[in-house]
Amino acid sequence: MIHSSNQSGKLKFLRKTLLPILITTLVSAPAFADPAMEWVQKMSDAMRNLSYRGDFVYMHENQLESMRIVHYRDANGEKERLISLNGEAREVIRDNQNLTCIWPSSRKVVVDFSRKNSFSPIFIPEDIARLEKFYSMKLLGMDRIANQETMVVHIDPKDRYRYGMKFWINQDNGLMMKSSLIDETNKEIEQVMFTSLRLFEEGEKLVLDSLPEIAKNYTLIRYHRGDSTVSVMTDNAWQLDAAPGGFWRESVLRRKLPDTDQIVQQMVYTDGLASLSIFIERQNGETPRGSSSMGAVNAFIRILNNHTVTAIGEVPAVTVKQVAESVSYRNQ
Amino acid sequence: MTDQDEKLSYLLDDYPGDSAEASLDEVIGDVNLQYRARRYQMIGEAMRHELPAAIDTGFHSSVMARIHQQPADARRAQLQTPVQAGSRPSLLSWVTLKPFAGLAVAASVALVTVALWQPLKQESGQLDDGLVSADQKKVEQLSGQQIQGSAVPVSIQLQPLGTRWKVEREMPGLQQKLNAYLVNHTEYSNSVQGLIPQARVAGFDSQQ
Repeated sequence: MIHSSNQSGKLKFLRKTLLPILITTLVSAPAFADPAMEWVQKMSDAMRNLSYRGDFVYMHENQLESMRIVHYRDANGEKERLISLNGEAREVIRDNQNLTCIWPSSRKVVVDFSRKNSFSPIFIPEDIARLEKFYSMKLLGMDRIANQETMVVHIDPKDRYRYGMKFWINQDNGLMMKSSLIDETNKEIEQVMFTSLRLFEEGEKLVLDSLPEIAKNYTLIRYHRGDSTVSVMTDNAWQLDAAPGGFWRESVLRRKLPDTDQIVQQMVYTDGLASLSIFIERQNGETPRGSSSMGAVNAFIRILNNHTVTAIGEVPAVTVKQVAESVSYRNQ
Repeated sequence: MTDQDEKLSYLLDDYPGDSAEASLDEVIGDVNLQYRARRYQMIGEAMRHELPAAIDTGFHSSVMARIHQQPADARRAQLQTPVQAGSRPSLLSWVTLKPFAGLAVAASVALVTVALWQPLKQESGQLDDGLVSADQKKVEQLSGQQIQGSAVPVSIQLQPLGTRWKVEREMPGLQQKLNAYLVNHTEYSNSVQGLIPQARVAGFDSQQ
C-alpha cells in the first residue's frame, strides 16, 4: 500500500514536472497536425529563403561525388550555383530567369527557363490529408550531421509506386543536412549529405552571375530566346487514363526544342512528394522502347500514334511503366 | 480517437489509471508522441484561456541536444547499470531523469558559455572571414576555368565521374535526350527530395 502510494506520488510528480517540460518546449510551435510534415515544410522554407554555402557528397550507384552549393536569397529573389568538385567542374546556375548548365569537357552551355521555388512544396491541409493516404510520416528523433543537431524525418510509402525518404533537418535553421531515397527493399539508393554548411553573414553579398561570359569554343544551346510568354498551344488530346493512386496533373507545357525545332509536350504529375513527367514528341527515325534507369530515376519509352511517349521521374520502374502505358490520344 | 490518443488524454488530464506509468514512458521514448501531447496540451490551455503570451520553444531541444552530445560510453555505462533481481525498475531511472540531468548540464554549460562567449565569438569571426574569402576565391576560380574557353580544366585529365542511363541498347542521341528530359523534369516538377535532383543534373556524365 505504501509502495503503491509512493509510485502514485512519483507519477504525479512526473506528470506535473517532466511532461510539461517535454511537451511545452519541444522545438517550434506546430502549425500542422503532423509534426513530420511540419519539419518537411520548415526544411523547404529554409532551403528556399536562407542564404547558405556548403559542400556535400552525393552517393548513388556505388559512386560518390563531391559538390558545392552556394544559395543566395535577397529582395530580388534566389540565385544558386551548384558545382561538381570531382572530375570536371560541371556547374548548374539558377536565378529567377535562367537555368544554366555548363559541361566544360564537352564545351556545352545549356540555357533554359528557370522555374521559381524549386525547393517548394507549400503544404495546405488538403495536401496533408491526401499524402496521409499514401505515406506514413514520423519523426525518428535526433542525430548529428556535420556537427549539427538534426531532427530525422522518415517518410514511408504505403504502396510500391513511390520511394521512401529520410531527411535530417537542422534543428536551428531548418536546412537539410542529409537526405536519402529508399527503395521498396529498404535500400538507400541515393543520398546527399553535407560535410560543411554555413549561413551567410548578415549583409554578406555574393556576385553570382546568372550566365557567365562564354568563350567562343563553347556551344551555347538556348531553350528560349528570352521571352517566357512565347509558348505553343498544348494538345489536350493527350491524356493519362490511369495515374497511380494519389498522382495528379500539376502542369502541361509544350514548346519547340532548340536544335531540331521538334515540338515536345511535357505533362507533370505529382503526389505532393514524388513527381514524374511525360514527354511526348513526334517519332523521328529509329526510336528505342522499354525501360531505362539512372540511379533512382526511371524512364519508360513507348510509341503511340507515331509519337514517342516517355515517362520519367524519381519513382520506381513500375510507376513510369504504368504511366507510359496509360497514355492515350483522344481525338475530339 | 486512437488508443494512443486516449492514453495521452488521460495522462494530460491527470486521470488515474494503471497504464499511466507505461503511457508516460511511451511519451518520453517517442518524439512523435511528445508532439501530439504538446498539441493536446496547447488545445486544452487555449480552451481554458491559459496560454501564455509567449512560449519558449527552444529550451527543451537544447537540453536534449546536450544529452545526446555526451560520450556514448558514459551513456551506455549508465544504461547498463544492473537492476536487482525482483525489484521493479524505478520510474526515476536514468531514462526518466535524462531531461533533468540535461537541464543541470545545460545550466552549468550556460554559465561557462556566458563567460567564454566574447572571446569565442571573436575567434570564430576571424576564422569565418578567412573561410569566406577563400571559398569565394575558389568559386570564382572555378567559374573562371570554365568560361575561359581555351584553358583546359586540370581535372579533365582524370577519368571524369558522372552518371549514365542504363539502356538495353545504346542509340545515338538517346543519353542526351533522356538527360534533357530529366533536366526539364527536375526544373518543372515539385518533388521534395532535398538537393538530390539538382545533384543528379550536376552529376551527368559529360562525355554523353
